[in-house]
Amino acid sequence: MENLYNLFIDPLHQTFFQKALLGGSLIAIACGVIGCFVILRRMAFLGDALSHAMIAGVVGGYLFMKVIFSIEAHAPAMLIGSVIAALITVGLISFVSQVSRIKEDAVIGIMYCGIFASGVVLVSIFRDYIHVDIMHFIMGDILGITDSELWVAAIVSAFVLTILMFFYRHLQLATFDPIMATSIGISVALIDYSLTACVSMVVVSAVSMVGVILVVGLLITPAATAYLLSDRLPRMMALAALFSFTSVVGGLYLSVWLDSAGGGAIMLFCSFQFFVIFLLAPKYGYFSKLIRRWNMIPQSLLEDILTSVLRSGNQASSESLRLYLKSSTKLLVKGVNQLQREELIIKTGKQIKLTDKGKEQANKIIRAHRLWESYLEATGMPANEVHRAAHHLEHLKDEAAINYLDNKLGHPAHDPHGKKIPQ
Amino acid sequence: MAASIIDVENLTVSYGNRPALLDINFSIGPQQLIGIIGPNGSGKSTLLKTLLGFIKPDFGKIKIYGEPLARNEGRIAYVPQRSAVDWDFPITVQEVAMMGRYQYIPWWKEASARDYEIVEQAMKTVRVLDLSKHQIGELSGGQQQRVFMARALAQQSSILLLDEPFAGVDAATERAILDVLKSAKESGKTLIVVHHDLTTAAEYFDQLILIKQRLYAFGSPKIVLQEELLHQVYEGKLRIFSDIVISKKG
Ligand SMILES: Nc1ncnc2c1ncn2[C@@H]1O[C@H](COP(=O)(O)OP(=O)(O)O)[C@@H](O)[C@H]1O
Ligand SMILES: [Mg+2]
Repeated sequence: MENLYNLFIDPLHQTFFQKALLGGSLIAIACGVIGCFVILRRMAFLGDALSHAMIAGVVGGYLFMKVIFSIEAHAPAMLIGSVIAALITVGLISFVSQVSRIKEDAVIGIMYCGIFASGVVLVSIFRDYIHVDIMHFIMGDILGITDSELWVAAIVSAFVLTILMFFYRHLQLATFDPIMATSIGISVALIDYSLTACVSMVVVSAVSMVGVILVVGLLITPAATAYLLSDRLPRMMALAALFSFTSVVGGLYLSVWLDSAGGGAIMLFCSFQFFVIFLLAPKYGYFSKLIRRWNMIPQSLLEDILTSVLRSGNQASSESLRLYLKSSTKLLVKGVNQLQREELIIKTGKQIKLTDKGKEQANKIIRAHRLWESYLEATGMPANEVHRAAHHLEHLKDEAAINYLDNKLGHPAHDPHGKKIPQ
Repeated sequence: MAASIIDVENLTVSYGNRPALLDINFSIGPQQLIGIIGPNGSGKSTLLKTLLGFIKPDFGKIKIYGEPLARNEGRIAYVPQRSAVDWDFPITVQEVAMMGRYQYIPWWKEASARDYEIVEQAMKTVRVLDLSKHQIGELSGGQQQRVFMARALAQQSSILLLDEPFAGVDAATERAILDVLKSAKESGKTLIVVHHDLTTAAEYFDQLILIKQRLYAFGSPKIVLQEELLHQVYEGKLRIFSDIVISKKG
């Protein structure tokens, strides 16, 4: 008990931990929720581009205030500078990829590295003049979060969540069907810019906590994790917020226990969550996919079982089926069980019989088989080959198609081998 | 002549410097079921997207009820081509159908009880009501198509544009969709439908538009479906299902 208390409660008494928890959660939740739109619109690159661009914006904002008003490290100016730099980067990306033949992915790389580089050069030129710590940008420092950063996080988070709440329908429609959105008077371009502006604000505010490199992860990983568990967007957004929150909490404890960097620990926890969900998600997870594949029985095998039972005079044993169909025992057992569940056959001891419903189905397939045989023969295929070909074609038994064949052939009563075609 | 509902004059649209549509002219009257035919890449989808205002024309005029597009927001409903939809999007059938109501809901309000009623009615009409809580990717091709029809009906607009609604659906669903289109027309709507099957074009539509970058023909199916014209447009890639001659055996 004593130990658990120390592990979990002790850190909560530390002011730095409380602030980190509060600020981290505020901004992570905004990141997670807006991240849903980022991944659904395939704009994951945006986070990357923005976080790299912002160093130039921060330096720009810093210099601007210092030169014009002689104010040191004016936080709002640096924030605004970052958002402007971010918008310029995104604008340049879409401009260059539209007017030149260079594809968008390459343009993104060019732009954000260029802008990042200009920031780095600016910082080093004015290194005696401005007091910006580059390492702070690259790694972030969530455990050393300041009061003003906390305020920024709170305001940004509240602002972004309010926008998302009021314009949810606009964002959803513009993401899902931009053509319809335009046709009912929603400006998709305006939505794009607003979303970019919101993402920039969130990213800028998150960078001081987890650093440029990890901020993209905070933007997209919780949202992607939630995506694996959701069939509805509101649920995806709620789960993304939850996973962001648990990442911050889990990550902060990790960093205290292991005495590691806060940002790194948060992202590590976040990625761990993703992998667990990726494996275990009930519908879209990896294991459930494996299980589904495992349980899958080819439709053609099911139909072959039905017809062979009928052909053998409506009684067969699993053994005779196995010899006749040359399929693996495992698959056959699964197939027989499946057909039993569908009430198409009844199995008593070793004997397999068709139900009335099963007979009807089997007759349909045999009718398709024999009509296909007649058709193939009419088109000139040698009689000894038509059976094999028709065996594959019989699974195409769409009613309209089969009746069409029947009409074309003039409603024959017998197939080329003289067997009766069931009606 | 009855007042026309859609007027297209000298419409030219291009992607980059490649024109997709060149100097298109036509006008469509009320209560018509119109088919657009033409080979792949001939600009059929581009024409619909331009009529919806999504693509800005380089040149030419589009008038709806005699007024420019900007004055007609929400008066045209749209059923997208199946391949253009993200079927993995986390959205249910009911939520897609509700999109048809968005133009009537102010941004600070929620959908009203009446909106829910209209959406339910639309889902009933195209028989997807019992699927309303399903994610759209779980449905069959025909059901997916009908979900977007429900959205278009919920929009209650008098013009409907449909991009290949019959692609990849079975014969029964094709009939069901056609019935919905016909009854929509009976109730006074104008429908423009991109269609790829020339064998059914004459049966389904009042008028046909044949395009391949340019407008090759516009009018009744008899006028448009001329063999020479089709061969010119489809350049031998014509795949009309010619009846296979089968020798009857005794
Ligand atoms: N977004 C786009 N960018 C560039 N070219 C496009 C775009 N969309 C369509 N095209 C081109 O325009 C032509 C017409 O396309 P589209 O209207 O989709 O044809 P259809 O619907 O008749 O098959 C095609 O050659 C296609 O390659
Ligand atoms: Mg198309």
